[in-house]
Amino acid sequence: MIGSLSRNTPVIVQGITGRMGRTHAALMRAYGTNIVGGTSTRADAKEAAGVPVFSNCRDAVLATGAVASVAMAPPLETLAAVEEALAAGIRIIVTVAEGIPLHDAIRIGRAVRRAGATWIGGSTPGMAIPGEIKLGFIPDVCLRPGPFAIMSKSGTLSYECGYRLAQAGLGHSIWVGVGGDQVKGVRFVDLLPVFFGDPRTHAIILVGEIGGSEEEECADALIRLGLCKPLYALIAGREAKEGVSMGHAGALVLGEAGTLASKTQRLTKAGARVFGSIEAIIDACVQNHLSLRA
Amino acid sequence: MLLIEADGKALLAEHGVAVPEGVMATDASIGDLPGEGPWMVKAQVPVGGRGKAGGVARCQSPQDVAAAVQRMLGGRLKGYQVDTCLIEQAVAGEERYLAIMVDAAGYGLRVIYSAQGGVDIERSGSAQGRLCPPHAGAVAEALAELIASEPEAWRRHVAAAGHGLADLLIERELALAEINPLFVSPDGCIAGDAKLVVDLGAIERQPRVAALIEARPQIYADANRKLIEGFDYVEIDPDGEIGLVTTGAGLSMMLIDELAARGMKPLNFCDIRTGQMRGSPARVMRVLEWITARQSLRAVLVSVFAGITDLAEFAHLLATGIEQSPRLRVPMVARLVGRGAAEARRILAERQPAVFVTEDLEEALRRIQAVCR
Repeated sequence: MIGSLSRNTPVIVQGITGRMGRTHAALMRAYGTNIVGGTSTRADAKEAAGVPVFSNCRDAVLATGAVASVAMAPPLETLAAVEEALAAGIRIIVTVAEGIPLHDAIRIGRAVRRAGATWIGGSTPGMAIPGEIKLGFIPDVCLRPGPFAIMSKSGTLSYECGYRLAQAGLGHSIWVGVGGDQVKGVRFVDLLPVFFGDPRTHAIILVGEIGGSEEEECADALIRLGLCKPLYALIAGREAKEGVSMGHAGALVLGEAGTLASKTQRLTKAGARVFGSIEAIIDACVQNHLSLRA
Repeated sequence: MLLIEADGKALLAEHGVAVPEGVMATDASIGDLPGEGPWMVKAQVPVGGRGKAGGVARCQSPQDVAAAVQRMLGGRLKGYQVDTCLIEQAVAGEERYLAIMVDAAGYGLRVIYSAQGGVDIERSGSAQGRLCPPHAGAVAEALAELIASEPEAWRRHVAAAGHGLADLLIERELALAEINPLFVSPDGCIAGDAKLVVDLGAIERQPRVAALIEARPQIYADANRKLIEGFDYVEIDPDGEIGLVTTGAGLSMMLIDELAARGMKPLNFCDIRTGQMRGSPARVMRVLEWITARQSLRAVLVSVFAGITDLAEFAHLLATGIEQSPRLRVPMVARLVGRGAAEARRILAERQPAVFVTEDLEEALRRIQAVCR
């Protein structure tokens, strides 16, 4: 689903009359995303950001044929927003809220899995296929079509990497912010087959951080699937404090679980190149893929 | 966020899991000890691996207890100041391991049980786990399978402890509830330790958990700050030299790593969330207040990658924040890139010319290194 998104994919924005919803619907449209409508609980709202507003997802999907949704809902209301979208037949949903309760996220994950849909988030700036579509709010200044697929737990750290690649004349094929939460939708491991099968993608950048086991999971899958395309990894949090979440709920080290050492070792063993600084990973990407500069 | 053992045990007891009788000590006058000896003295810091780090002592006499408390209090354990010890009657029995946790990849709960409890459980690989849907009945079924080969005399006690633990995890929306060791005998089960990880995302609807955190402003300083201020600030090193005013969790973590790799000592982690500042310099002032409270501060690094935020507006808030922070007397380097960067540079040049402004992160890091030298 992710790899086939394009400028033609019809998208709705849930919560489009809110401050964030209105702003980002307009910015996504300006980027070229086919925003076809939005939903709002405000009874008087008929139009926002230049698209029609509906009172619920079902009406919006029936009227517009939308298959994707960006849910601009507060964290405690995200579960209900996703359930509404799935019931309306939405196939891919991006939830941007930071701080979705963990047990709500389990319910979201189960509902999405049951529906056979795709969930990106929470706590993510979203995803983009530069030149085609942007779901969420990855800054335009970072986006440039090119050969690198990016998957990242952190928004800002991926902006930094994407921006420097773009400055160096390289760009991105598919960019997915998997988000910094512990329980989430698409994980690193789910994206490997997407990136391996995508003809635009020549190499992969993984921006990880301490906590959880996604990087280790991804390393195991790399061994299983084979390193079909080069993978460069940047892992943040070497100096993090144990026992407390470093901003992202999922960035929590307890004992030996979730440490930088464990992630670095497993990814390296699987054939990935792991870096501890932004400059080092970008230099390696640029040096090794000079011929792809456009 | 990890709760200290004493708070974890309070929640366990509320959900029907037996815990040893204990008292808290915050100074050398230990008062009446619970029951007969021997006793366990345990430093109350929210980290794992306390035993190996010297934060747990088994004591035969009240004199030993007093000595252990005195030794631990005021010291540091894995980065945390020890200001409270838990003193308990030592428990006898066979040691087991029991845990229930949120399984992120499986969208369910994982129940883990091992016939070998103890400090090396993570390494021993003897723990068996079962993934199940997130409700108490499913946990009970999973646990029943895991303990099937245990002696019948106390199997029902373990099942009851598991029931209480599942109830606690689900009702209080925890990420992890672990008992290691769980002392078992035909008379019942007692939790020797409690490792509970709470979800701050659910705190608005978990008043009991919120009350535990609010009751300990020292031990849970970082969490209390987050709940009160609405953004993330974690003190990494009270003797740190570089204060961070940054937005974005991942980039802030990375900057800490980058500074440390260059031989500098970062003071704090910070995700100030410029998007939520809504025209108020309050957050900038709060962070400047906290970092300038440390005598060791030598420089401040501001870093904002503005996708949505207007840097011109941020520059005004930063300038106002600096004006309102008379304690700030060290150099500041501001790395501002993205929307409105040129205007931000002009504003700061006019209002706070001493601030070094750049769009280039590597240059900002070099500059910080230079002013610290």
